[in-house]
Amino acid sequence: MRQGEKLTSHLDWPLLITYFLFLIMGMATVYSTALDPDHPNLFDYSQKYGKQVVWLGVSLFLGLMVFLIDSTIYRKFAVPIYLSTLVLLIIVLFMPPINGARAWLQLGGFGIQPAEFAKTGTALLLARYISSLNIKQQNLNSVLVANAIMVVPMILILLQPDAGTFVVFTSFLFVMYREGLTYDPLVLKLVNMIPGIKFKQTWVGTHFIPIMFAIVFLCIVTLLLSNNTITFSFLPGVSIPGFFGVILSLVVFCLIAFIFLRFISTKRERRRITTVIIIAFVLSASIASSVNYLFQGLKKHQKDRIELFLGLREDPNGEDYNRNRAMAAVGSGGLLGKGYTNASVATIESNHVPESETDFIFCPFAEEWGFIGTFILIVLYMFMFLRIIMIAERQRSRFNRVYAYSVVMILFYHLAVNIGMNIGFAPVIGIPLPFFSYGGSSMMSFSMLMFILLKLDSQRSHVLQ
Amino acid sequence: MNFDARKYVIIVFIITVGLIYIVRLFFMQVIDDSWTLRAQEIAEKRKQIVPPRGAIFDRKGVKVVSNRTYYNLMFIEDEIKHLDTAAFAKVLGWSRDSVAIRFKAIVKEQGTYRDKNDNYRKKPNYQSDRPYAFIKEMTLEEIATIAPHLDKFPGFYEEITSMRSYTYPNGANIFGYLSEVNEEEIKEDHFYRRGDNIGRAGIERFYEKELRGQKGIRYIVTSARNNELKPYMDGIYDTIAKQGPNFRLGIDILLQEYGERLMNGKRGCIVAIEPSTGEILALVSSPTYDPNLMVGNRNIAKNYPKLILDKDMPLFPRPLAAEYPPGSIFKLLQSLIGLQEGVITPESGFPCNKGLVGCHNHPSAGNLMDAIKFSCNPYYYAVTRRILQQGKKKSVFADAEIGLNKWHQYMMSFGLGQKFDADATGLRPGLIPNSAYYDKWYGHLRWAFSTIRSISIGQGEVKLTPLQMANIACIIANKGWYYTPHFVKSIGNKGSLPQFKVKHKSMIDSKHYEPIIEGMRRVVYVSGGTGGRAKINNEEKIIVCGKTGTVQNPQGEDHAVFTCFAPMDKPKIAIVVFIENAGFGGTWAAPTASLMIEKYLTRKVKDKEKEKRILEASFKN
Repeated sequence: MRQGEKLTSHLDWPLLITYFLFLIMGMATVYSTALDPDHPNLFDYSQKYGKQVVWLGVSLFLGLMVFLIDSTIYRKFAVPIYLSTLVLLIIVLFMPPINGARAWLQLGGFGIQPAEFAKTGTALLLARYISSLNIKQQNLNSVLVANAIMVVPMILILLQPDAGTFVVFTSFLFVMYREGLTYDPLVLKLVNMIPGIKFKQTWVGTHFIPIMFAIVFLCIVTLLLSNNTITFSFLPGVSIPGFFGVILSLVVFCLIAFIFLRFISTKRERRRITTVIIIAFVLSASIASSVNYLFQGLKKHQKDRIELFLGLREDPNGEDYNRNRAMAAVGSGGLLGKGYTNASVATIESNHVPESETDFIFCPFAEEWGFIGTFILIVLYMFMFLRIIMIAERQRSRFNRVYAYSVVMILFYHLAVNIGMNIGFAPVIGIPLPFFSYGGSSMMSFSMLMFILLKLDSQRSHVLQ
Repeated sequence: MNFDARKYVIIVFIITVGLIYIVRLFFMQVIDDSWTLRAQEIAEKRKQIVPPRGAIFDRKGVKVVSNRTYYNLMFIEDEIKHLDTAAFAKVLGWSRDSVAIRFKAIVKEQGTYRDKNDNYRKKPNYQSDRPYAFIKEMTLEEIATIAPHLDKFPGFYEEITSMRSYTYPNGANIFGYLSEVNEEEIKEDHFYRRGDNIGRAGIERFYEKELRGQKGIRYIVTSARNNELKPYMDGIYDTIAKQGPNFRLGIDILLQEYGERLMNGKRGCIVAIEPSTGEILALVSSPTYDPNLMVGNRNIAKNYPKLILDKDMPLFPRPLAAEYPPGSIFKLLQSLIGLQEGVITPESGFPCNKGLVGCHNHPSAGNLMDAIKFSCNPYYYAVTRRILQQGKKKSVFADAEIGLNKWHQYMMSFGLGQKFDADATGLRPGLIPNSAYYDKWYGHLRWAFSTIRSISIGQGEVKLTPLQMANIACIIANKGWYYTPHFVKSIGNKGSLPQFKVKHKSMIDSKHYEPIIEGMRRVVYVSGGTGGRAKINNEEKIIVCGKTGTVQNPQGEDHAVFTCFAPMDKPKIAIVVFIENAGFGGTWAAPTASLMIEKYLTRKVKDKEKEKRILEASFKN
């Protein structure tokens, strides 16, 4: 730290304020969900909210520590940090299982989930590795090393097993994509093995990751909607066959994308954008059609599995129990919600939605605050993500940028999967909602991610790493 | 290579997901109601509080129908843990097998539905997480032996319910009874839930909507284990159960009790009405039953088959639904019509010509009053012939047609040949034939007075219900008008129904009633009168005006009937006594009526001899 510079100078206030807003909203929701009328004191340590207050305090203390330490140490110690999280991930595998997973490390009275901290470690090491690469070094080797940094903790996490965090680790693929480390060399190598073909670059290989995700997403949405007829309660008599609805949404999305991209593109790029969007539309429409066609051709039990996975099939008391209860809680919130502490489906006491204070904390929030609340929540998250991307893009150091992208993608994944499973868009895999869910490990690890980012950003002007 | 443009891919990706989620949440939370309904299904118990039904009081303020607390033994299968069937059966005093049988029966009672998600297979409606009644409607004594042991059988608990209780074992056919609603009634009226009771007969049925009160609804948040946690939204949507209003009847329960006692061992009925109001004072249908026998589904299951199979039909409300030829009491009406039509005067005399129709031995009646006193059949042939055949048309058939239809109108104005708009169910209209009726039998213009003459003396096609017979006495007592007979004086703070405040007038001028009333007095008080036994021997000199009737019965012994009102100057009670197979009306029906009058007007009966004679008589074979 330079002489005479205050601790808070160059601090990104919008991001910090958003973070604190989430802490307050999250704390309030944990309180209302876990509220025991006999122990209404927020600081009652016997209650979950009392514990969460402690976790908040610890997290903020750790944040302060992060701020006091010079940001260069994260680059310097990236390898030891990464390795120590790996060691913890290995140790945890020898712990007694809790709820069928060896995910917890008992330290005194506290349980810690090393997987939460492995995200930070991986983000730091990935940032360090990518920043050490020459910009021209987009070879097979660097792709493999970067992937290895990601895959090793993933394997350890899968052994616990912890499907949620496993999925979250794929968020690093987007980070690599942003930095140019895609599967292009791999795809090139494969394609060039075909005699007579000698490509220097394949478009598919370059954009492999977003394309893959877009296809998965498209498939799920097609399956979700194609079997149904879309009706509108405010437009009685109007109904759209599901598959037509998918194509219609595709048209709408392409138009929106087209208009959006025309705004930000140069004149020269416009023709290319038009071509890309047309190709994208034709491709996605044909993918949607073939998914639809294939699905109709499946055997009944295969269909059942898929329908159950997607929540198309009502099985309210069986495999679909959690999702059904969660969706009922969210949907019953209405426009304005039932009011604070008035949730009836998603509270610990009623226990219709299991884990309503941790993985399903979006339920009580949505039930109490209605669409107004969930809208504000998602907008606030979107704001936070775009703000972090903005921060990432203003970094002079590639280390900082890679790290910032890691943070935003991890948070985004958590949001997308966590809320997705509350609204029937994602399978039920337990991962916390950042800054909301009850639990020390996730609160500390998200706070650490955030404070390291804020610290790196605040020192962006005088460190060139 | 510069990869900066790829940030847009990521930005678009994030924003797209955000937008899709917002749209989805808007759809789920604001547009689509089904999740709200689902949440209610999951987390809210809509608890109906069924209020006790309105209590019923008699005209003196005696509570005659009240509510008593009963107990249902409830269970929730999911909360039953390792039920020790043997111990449980012992507590209930049942056999082990019957416990198992009962469980199976409960599942069966709930019926089945077709599951559209499972190839429309039959699935039971029974749900193991819902409460069901294991034993219904136990008395305090019964539950007291079970309740102390219930803590040993988790999943079982007691629930309070309210059922009818009758202070007197009388008036069963007035009050009616309650029983469980059936599927159709639930579909028709969403007020009812499975297991609710509904009025099945009598006042309970007619005033069902008033008596049942308003159900209260409590919305309770329940946990996944079906525990009740707290009122939903602090109870702002809850409603309070309101008991039905108190009912005040015109019935005098002591008179009713006395009437039922007098009619013991006899088939028939007594109807007593207050002429000035149309309020029914007593409505005895004999044989009857103790209304307490039909309280609760267990009692009904036990007693209903017996009552419905009884050949004397105790469940049949004879005063309202039995249609009898009125016999000689019909002569009162013939006299009135004759006077109004001007075809006779009070001084008209006709010889007792037994060649026309049989009669008992009495001197010929020189005037109308004596004709009533003697109940002379030939006299009324002559009177009715004059009414029907007034010589307005040359053809005797066409003349009879005009005459009969005129006569029919008069009869209708007495409330005959039609159902009263009374507060009872199962009323019958009786029968007053008109020309169309006989045309159907004999053909148009193929009949005249001589064809249908038996209607003159209240035989043949003419049929009246005892309620209509009693109402005739009211009309005469009032000299020309009546209120529709009814049971209920007032409901809560409101009076009786508006249709009971409408005065119905007969087509007879009030002056024509005087000779009739005098004739009725002579029936009782002048020697040679047919109803001398209706005299009340007390110093208060209550003058009874009555008319005997003996209804010819081709199936067996004649029916005895007596209609009367008293006291003569200020009538307070009009009464009809109809005793099946008791023979001559003056012998049994008249003294019974006098006892009823004495009981009502003086609250006690002095002539114990007379009372004993009636109490001991039996005409059931």
